[in-house]
Amino acid sequence: MNQHREPPHDMFDNVAVYALGALPPAEAAAVRRHIATCDECAQEYARLKSAAALVGLSAESSVADAANCPSALLKPRIMAKIRASTVPARETAAGRRIPAWPAYLVAAACIAIAIGSSVWNVVLTGQVKQAQQELARDTQRSETLARALADERTMLSDLMGSDAKRYVQSNGEVVTRGSRAYVAMHDLPQPPRGKTYQAWTLPKGATKMVPSLTFVPDAHGVAVVALPPDARATAAVAVSVEPEGGSKQPTSKPILVVPLT
Amino acid sequence: MERPNEAKDMEVTDDADVLMARVRRQDADAFEALYDAYHRVVFGVALRILGDRSAAEDVTQTVFLKVWNTPNLFRGGNFAAWIVRVTRNRALDVVRGRNVRPEAELPESLPEDESMEEAAFARLDAERVRSALAALPPEQREPIELGFFGGVTHQEIARRSQTPLGTVKTRIRSGLRRLRSALDEAVTV
Repeated sequence: MNQHREPPHDMFDNVAVYALGALPPAEAAAVRRHIATCDECAQEYARLKSAAALVGLSAESSVADAANCPSALLKPRIMAKIRASTVPARETAAGRRIPAWPAYLVAAACIAIAIGSSVWNVVLTGQVKQAQQELARDTQRSETLARALADERTMLSDLMGSDAKRYVQSNGEVVTRGSRAYVAMHDLPQPPRGKTYQAWTLPKGATKMVPSLTFVPDAHGVAVVALPPDARATAAVAVSVEPEGGSKQPTSKPILVVPLT
Repeated sequence: MERPNEAKDMEVTDDADVLMARVRRQDADAFEALYDAYHRVVFGVALRILGDRSAAEDVTQTVFLKVWNTPNLFRGGNFAAWIVRVTRNRALDVVRGRNVRPEAELPESLPEDESMEEAAFARLDAERVRSALAALPPEQREPIELGFFGGVTHQEIARRSQTPLGTVKTRIRSGLRRLRSALDEAVTV
């Protein structure tokens, strides 16, 4: 590093503003370049940056100041994500891998715990009204979540069920189990701009396809769609590429047609 | 139940490096201990910048998930100062309507010598910093707080305070120097 015994006064000021993070990008870049070649300014920067960073500590909320503390539900929410990401898949006796304890069950359990924690917080802080509102909102959220996840669990169970009927095609399959039917596709490219994939069902005895759900694959090219109609009353399932929003009747040649027997 | 700040901070700052080493090994218990120790400062900074509890909680969640998912961004030093910087950047991104901050722009990972410098403040608690800040003359404290929590440039600070730009810059430097001296004394006491 070069030695600059007397840096310009204005440069020291700029170093301070840079340490605070209040310089516009172009000026910040200039100061950064200068600091790289000037010992005095580098030292000044190191001293002041530490002080500037600690300004943030002054914003730490006090334990006694509940109004400025995060909701008691935040921690369970975060920990549910953390713990869900660390739970390894379990092995069955037959060696087949099945999903580890589902993340939503962890989340639901944590939410239940959080409700208790929240109430306790209310007693401690006197923030009864706010906590009750939060509780109501989170209870509603947890119920919605539970419903969605119950559906997901049913889907998982159906797709993996040994008694499910599978109609395998080259790029996917239709799976039926009881009254439920699913289209599961893999290696599915993203549809062209302005287009989407749409499922179709043919009711038994009918001659025209009935429009069903639209969908797009995930980043891995996978799409799993639960079809609303009763599988036992459905004669065939198809998928085609349609304009966004879907069509009332197919406008392109289906990429998947599966008669159900 | 949580314990008072001071006693807790004295312990956790010593342990932050150890806890982060465990977090790098995906130890959820270590992560939980870090959350317990630092969530109030993270939330506090986010709330101060955003002024909205819900948005501040979102930022708090984002910051802690970042700690969990990319723990190597912390290269040692003062964990509190580091997580404050991460939080400030994320909250300001939200204010500016930016969803993603490119990794190349992240200033949070300090060179080793700066990390060592900051480590000297590891035992400072919020109350002591608040006192040091409150002891500054308003004309020095206000531009510092506006620059840090408001995320605005010195020109904007000058415009809002109707003060010449050069004066604003000098006041920021004087204020940070005084703050640093006060905190130096607190560390050596």
